[in-house]
Amino acid sequence: MKRALFIAALLCLSGGGIVWAQMAATPKADTPEAAKETREKIFNAETFTLENGLQIVVIPNHRAPVITHMVWYKVGAADEVTGKSGIAHFLEHLMFKGSNGLAPGEFSKKIRAMGGEDNAFTGHDYTSYHQSVSVDHLEDVMKMEAGRMRGLNPPLDHVDSERLVILEERRQRTDNDPRARFAEQMNALLYVNHPYSKPVIGWASEMASLSWDDCKTFYDKWYAPNNAILIVAGDVTGQQVFDLAKKIYGPLPKGDVPERMRPVSPPLAGVPEVTLEDEVIREPMVQIVYRTPGSRQNKEETLALQALEEIMSGGPTSRIYKNLVVDQKIATGAGLSYQSAALDDSELWIYATPAPGKDIKAVKTALQDQIRDVIKNGVTATELKEAITRMQADAIYARDSLTGPAMVFGYALTTGSSIDDVEYWTYDIAKVTAKQIQDVAKKYLDPDAVLEHAAVTGYLLPKASAPPAAEPAKEAAP
Amino acid sequence: MKKLLLIMCVMVVPVNAWAKDKLLDIQPVTSPGGIKAWLVEDHNVPVIALEFGFKGAGALLEPTDKQGLSRMLSNTMDEGAGDLESQVFQKELQDLSIGLSFGSTRDDFTGSVKTLTRNKARAFELLQLALTKPRFDAEPVERMRAANLSRIRSSMSEPDWIAARILNDLAFTGHPYAQNSGGTLTTLASITPDDLRAFHKNNLGKNNLFVSVAGDITKEELATLLDQVFGALPTVKLPAVPKTTSLQNENTVNVYKKDIPQTIVEMLQPGIDRKDTDYQVAQVMNFILGSSGFGSRLTEEIREKRGLTYGIYSYFMDMEYFDGLEVSTSTENKNAGEIIAMTKAEWEKMKDAPVTADELKDAKTYLTGSLPLSLTSTDAIAGLLLSLQMDDLPLDYLDQREKIINATTEADVQRVAKKILQEDKMTVVLVGTPEGVKDFKAIDKVPNVE
Repeated sequence: MKRALFIAALLCLSGGGIVWAQMAATPKADTPEAAKETREKIFNAETFTLENGLQIVVIPNHRAPVITHMVWYKVGAADEVTGKSGIAHFLEHLMFKGSNGLAPGEFSKKIRAMGGEDNAFTGHDYTSYHQSVSVDHLEDVMKMEAGRMRGLNPPLDHVDSERLVILEERRQRTDNDPRARFAEQMNALLYVNHPYSKPVIGWASEMASLSWDDCKTFYDKWYAPNNAILIVAGDVTGQQVFDLAKKIYGPLPKGDVPERMRPVSPPLAGVPEVTLEDEVIREPMVQIVYRTPGSRQNKEETLALQALEEIMSGGPTSRIYKNLVVDQKIATGAGLSYQSAALDDSELWIYATPAPGKDIKAVKTALQDQIRDVIKNGVTATELKEAITRMQADAIYARDSLTGPAMVFGYALTTGSSIDDVEYWTYDIAKVTAKQIQDVAKKYLDPDAVLEHAAVTGYLLPKASAPPAAEPAKEAAP
Repeated sequence: MKKLLLIMCVMVVPVNAWAKDKLLDIQPVTSPGGIKAWLVEDHNVPVIALEFGFKGAGALLEPTDKQGLSRMLSNTMDEGAGDLESQVFQKELQDLSIGLSFGSTRDDFTGSVKTLTRNKARAFELLQLALTKPRFDAEPVERMRAANLSRIRSSMSEPDWIAARILNDLAFTGHPYAQNSGGTLTTLASITPDDLRAFHKNNLGKNNLFVSVAGDITKEELATLLDQVFGALPTVKLPAVPKTTSLQNENTVNVYKKDIPQTIVEMLQPGIDRKDTDYQVAQVMNFILGSSGFGSRLTEEIREKRGLTYGIYSYFMDMEYFDGLEVSTSTENKNAGEIIAMTKAEWEKMKDAPVTADELKDAKTYLTGSLPLSLTSTDAIAGLLLSLQMDDLPLDYLDQREKIINATTEADVQRVAKKILQEDKMTVVLVGTPEGVKDFKAIDKVPNVE
């Protein structure tokens, strides 16, 4: 029940896997007056762009003689063509299956043989490949990563066996787990006409028919230096990385990369609800997910929503936990989470687990009442000040990591934020006013104006329970 | 092999220069009052991480009807202390961005504090209060009980959790390790604030305490601090527990049937003690066999060549009174029998023939070279120092380890494989609707949860 750091500094990436797009809340800021900048940066990153369009970000960190090397492509599951869900993620797996000078599987083996770690992950808006090695291997990993930026060539039998692997991955992460199926279903309803409605891993029926040709088309279209960001964190200087990158990534040709054209989600004409009943569920849960602005769409509003999240759910004395769990005791757990790092609409979730015997719809109302309170009465100056102090402290903790800061820049730069947005986030978040917080709550989350914003309500229930639309169940838990 | 200087104090280069021949510059510190700690100074970021453990004060001390007691203690010790009630205490932690928490394993009770340098004085006062004057007020105790019951009911829908619970119950039958360290719906309901007080008072003492610190603090400052925080702890005498245990229900396959598309597979056999002279060689062997993911034999044969799983790993289980070697994987139901047979075939191959020179070289480079990657944050460094101390390993363990790994030969690996790997001694648990599995025992009910 303790607070989590705002920057997802410790991401647990499983083998060749995916990290869901909403894992990190990315800082965001404005355009500074470069001429006389006196503000203190969080990470002191250096940046440079090669002639072929590859953007480079270097985050010096001399604590240990190691580096993290990442390439982020500005493409993800939301850029797939309809009917081919899962290509972005399947391609991510195939990137380990053979490229210029490397046999299938050799990439990761070489990294292990250097004493390093490597992995990759896919989101709706980005695909990221990363290695952590001792600093003397930086040039080696650059050569390997550059070799698969344009030169992927997996043998077809490896494509076939890897397709089985991603289907196993889906079974493990989603099909075996009613909670994951529940979240997947809520997302599918929230984003009408927008590809965020698709699971990143893909729908099983479409995954089974993905071909190498599908992946190759996607690869040729999107994987190019001018659609990528190279991030190096660790025991290096900017100059060192720029010189090496120029030599190794510099010769790669620019690609003819299209604009990322995304459809727009229309307003919802009704109020969608998902009820998932499963006999294995012993603990019910209620969630509401709202479509909210992402970091590219409206910077001030995303900052206000970040501050709202901290006030509502930043720890065990924050509003939602204190009211529902400590004071009213109608829930055993409850909170709010907001993920601003999205190229298009972002998501804000509120959720609660009803205490035994408590009616799940009453718990939902209590959650909504927390929003109503902000809309009606706002937040106090003290609450806001404390929240800002905590968020600024989180930025210091974020520096106590090698990979964390690189992740923060990757999320930010692939979803429309800038380097300065990250570096000066502590100043920008401090400018958020109580009025702005009240306004975004009213504009995006108002429980009494349901058709003015998009939201989906979900109930996860034990099989035997009465559906929430009928008479309230007396016993919510067995 | 290039030596790596892990921790560089950029501002005070001369002080640290001598440490260039060591992996990690660990300073032993003893307070005026006699409390010991290991310290790695690092002034790069204004953050201090302190981790501590009370050896032997874990879940294995719990009476059967109070399973979950040490976990409940870990949940409630930071819920109010001294004059500060739960919400006041937590509010102060939150306002000062202090991460303070406690934890319990089957063997030990642990805790940690992470603070910004500017808030260190109050952070350590709050830790001292939580350690020595926890309140255990009825309200937070009830709230944490409710959260734990909720956690158990949630876990009951997770097949991997079910598999772990069943394996634990079968592998350690008759030993306290078989108990449910998370508690059961019944035992959690019976835990009282007095139970928490007694467990706290009887088992958390100066004499079973280990402390490690990393970050923005000097040796002198830490010495004073140790007495302030831990000086008031009592001396405790832990109750006797059954010492060693051997694996139970070995050479059995146990199936908990569940209507899911994928079968969870857990296979456990006896392992090797961390103090055994062959322990490092065993790590090399297991890296090649299955701990490394890509490049390991299990992953290459089962995932890469055949696409039978998203992940398969083998890893050592190091507990005080039991050492195991476990394999975890999952596969579509129809492949369950095949994946078990293929795993056992890799066991035989590892014993029948020496590993290749390339396999050995890669394993050595990884096992020695990757250590710095896991030491890039203050809490990770403090965590490593604590585990070394609690396992009674020497200050230069990391350097010794590197030497032994580098000296390992193909013949050593085969010898240790023959000594450890026993495919006919595995306790196997399957959750799902597995096919192709003969001679199994059906498990009707997840044991010791309700």
